[in-house]
Amino acid sequence: MTEIIPLTAGEASAPQEPFKPGACKLHPQTMCPAFGALRVLSRIEGAQPAMVTDTGCLYGLTFVTHFYAARKSIVAPALGTAELSGGKVQEAANAAIVEAAREQHVSVIPVISLCVAETAGLAEELLPTEVDGKPVVLVRVPAYAIHSHPEAKDIALAAVLRRFVDRQSEHEPGALVLVGEVFPADPLLIDGVLRKMGARVLATLPGRHVDELRLAGRGAAVAALHPFYRETVNVLRERGVGVVTGAPIGAAGSAAWLRAVGAALALDEEVVERVAAEEEETARGFLAARPLKGATILVSGYEGNEMLYARLLIEGGAHVPYVSTSIGQSALTAADEAWLKAHGTEAVIYRKAIEDDQAAMRHWSFDLVIGTTTLAAYAKERGIPSVYYTNILSVRPLFLAGGMIASLSFVRELLNRRSLYERMVEFFTADGA
Amino acid sequence: MTIQLIRDISDTSSFWGAAWVFGCFPDLHIVCDAPIGCYNLLGVAVTDYTDALPQMANLTPTSIREEDVINGTAGALVRTIDDLRSLGSLEGRRLLVISTAESEMISADHTRLVAQIDPQARFFWSRSLEQDEWTGRDRALLFAWEEYGRPFADPAAAPKAPDLVNIIGPSLGCFNAPADLHEVRRLIEGIGGVVNLVYPYEGSVASTPRLADAAVNVVLYREFGAPLAEALGRPFLFAPFGVFGTTAFLRDLGRLIGADPARVEDFIAREKRTTLQPVWDLWRGPQSDWFATVDCAIVAGRSYVEGLTALLRDELGMKIAWTSGRPRRPDEPDNIEIRRRIHAKAPAFVFGSINEKIYLAEANARGTHYIPATFPGPVVRRTTGTPFMGYAGAANIIQELVNRFYEMVFNFLPVEQVKTPAGPGGPPQGATAGPPAPASAETMPWTKEATERLNAALEQVPYLARISASRSLRLAAEQAARARGVAEVTVDLVEAAIAHGG
Repeated sequence: MTEIIPLTAGEASAPQEPFKPGACKLHPQTMCPAFGALRVLSRIEGAQPAMVTDTGCLYGLTFVTHFYAARKSIVAPALGTAELSGGKVQEAANAAIVEAAREQHVSVIPVISLCVAETAGLAEELLPTEVDGKPVVLVRVPAYAIHSHPEAKDIALAAVLRRFVDRQSEHEPGALVLVGEVFPADPLLIDGVLRKMGARVLATLPGRHVDELRLAGRGAAVAALHPFYRETVNVLRERGVGVVTGAPIGAAGSAAWLRAVGAALALDEEVVERVAAEEEETARGFLAARPLKGATILVSGYEGNEMLYARLLIEGGAHVPYVSTSIGQSALTAADEAWLKAHGTEAVIYRKAIEDDQAAMRHWSFDLVIGTTTLAAYAKERGIPSVYYTNILSVRPLFLAGGMIASLSFVRELLNRRSLYERMVEFFTADGA
Repeated sequence: MTIQLIRDISDTSSFWGAAWVFGCFPDLHIVCDAPIGCYNLLGVAVTDYTDALPQMANLTPTSIREEDVINGTAGALVRTIDDLRSLGSLEGRRLLVISTAESEMISADHTRLVAQIDPQARFFWSRSLEQDEWTGRDRALLFAWEEYGRPFADPAAAPKAPDLVNIIGPSLGCFNAPADLHEVRRLIEGIGGVVNLVYPYEGSVASTPRLADAAVNVVLYREFGAPLAEALGRPFLFAPFGVFGTTAFLRDLGRLIGADPARVEDFIAREKRTTLQPVWDLWRGPQSDWFATVDCAIVAGRSYVEGLTALLRDELGMKIAWTSGRPRRPDEPDNIEIRRRIHAKAPAFVFGSINEKIYLAEANARGTHYIPATFPGPVVRRTTGTPFMGYAGAANIIQELVNRFYEMVFNFLPVEQVKTPAGPGGPPQGATAGPPAPASAETMPWTKEATERLNAALEQVPYLARISASRSLRLAAEQAARARGVAEVTVDLVEAAIAHGG
């Protein structure tokens, strides 16, 4: 593989004007919020979702749910003008719950209430909490109130966690609960390092089983790996669980995170320090080669963990002047934002629209665009190497030294593909097409 | 009023249908009065996973927020239109605002507001809470004709030429539209017709009056489009399926456009020697023998259900176990019933959506072949080589079935494996290891009940997989009998073998 990374000529001459976000925010860049909830809930083993909404939204949501491999049959009541104006929403929800309860081996029936049902008014107290011994949990995720896909994941997870979390048992010393939809190998990598410090990963949420929700209550601390699990973290905070924010990302980030976990779990400081230093050294060894060698990269996604990814790229030697995400600003995003601003990121945009991202592409000259489908298409039309954030990045480990090496090596390969992209543009835009 | 339950959606709402029609027009910009979810699913995600468009470039949401649900969406609408203007998105484009289920919930009717903002702009009340996608497409097509076509066409004028033909129907979110359109166009042109306008796929606001120029309309789908053809007041035909259906279509169309019958017959004759040659060859060969022995189920749009039934049952002699068309009629199975039937007994072939695919997976129906034939389901059908309609469609479908038959033979014929010896490393030891000794070479007796139970179980297995299934069930039951030291296979042993997955 060639080691030559074709950088833009303008790397040294950065634009002088400060960046202005898109004048209009017309096209929100997030997957339907409700999909975040449905994805988390339908992936729980034994969960039989019942959705309460209109046909259009059912179609779109079940479609993307099946695309993302949660091939689970989903039940809903027909909810049209007649039912809505006739005040039948409650009855309709109940009928769907009864049908859902008919399935064998049901561990929970999440009732997912969306825009139309919420507008019509669905009363939580009039829904059953259990049918045939099968627990029913209402999850309210109207898109007009929850503005992004990741934040709906948080609402959904918090709703089921509140129902199932173990509130009786003692906290287990050294047990850490991870929160974040991460690559399956990541919790294993983290657990391996934690064990060297005398701790362990107890459970990773959102999980695949109701038991993991129960277990989470026994953790001594919770690490919110992604910065939008606010409600979920609050449920555990009420249990008296210590909270670690941020994630073990990159060299500096991993070491700092391990130290924070050590403090939250009251581990032996010397041991923690030794393990943290080891991790940092491994990571620095890899980073010494500056794998991304000054490439200018745009990071834009709707998963809510974009800032983590940007940190990793910057540590890998990239220039990441612009990061945008669909989530809102909060206390959990503050540390990452501050770190990015201190390391050359000029703009961090929350609740972004495609117009913001397009303005960034006019302002800077990028070697690689990691973006939403729409933005990635926009970049490809301009011959810039580009990938869709969700599909491509979520299939690799990200955390600690191991995750860093895997992710940065992949990005380095992407950077080498510029000529392929340019050739396509040349071909498809010839003859004024 | 009883509550009707839906399991796994089959078709969507009229908002989607309308947006999929209007979205085809490059000189129209659609503002959907919608929360971000409606916009994102329709305008980005599903469009990308079906029509492979990264997004619908001429669709913008008002992004309804909580305060708009309380106060109405007029403010959000005005803001959106202003922003679109300032970005230049409305230059050279007509503006159309369409309602969604959510905006209808709060009765956000913007007919007058939109007219005040721009006299050329229109508001489309999509009736999303009460109508399905097919009705939505129908109404959108009629609306486009009423608003952008008829006022600019002379209703009394004759067709511009007798051989001009419109193709009505292909739009976004239509399963396999590019391939079927390609084939139908080829057929029309093959007998001397001239395609006037493909609407809305290749149409625009500006070209809409040209619909009046054609002498004949071909409606691609039975599930929608006919009302526009009726409104145009010219004779129309539905697009054809199958060898004989297509031949009849060509002769009918030939008469309607005044084509020379000799030319039509020449084309049909040429097609027999080219496009249809594989159908004839496969029919004459051994491959067609098993058509009579297999069954299939079809869940699809009404045209596909009727067209595939005509081709597979009436022309090839395959058994149709059941069908369910879209929009669904009351006498057809709904998804709850379809799921039950597939779980009980899966046909050898199931044409359908991802729902049927899921039900087959739930039933562990490994002997069944699933063939995508409708949405929903992420599947790209953008090439022209996969038609279901016309002569090429008949050849394509038969080819698909035969290839799956070959696949089935490969996977299910009983084969004595030469197994790699257990143990780490090294190539297979070949002759030195020798074949495993059979548990017993002697035939074991079965009780009458056990044999009956075996036969009943095999009835549930698609024909082609039956040889293999009978063999493995028999072996399993006999091994269990030997393990228990009994001399005869009894019905409980068969039950256990079936429960264990044979």
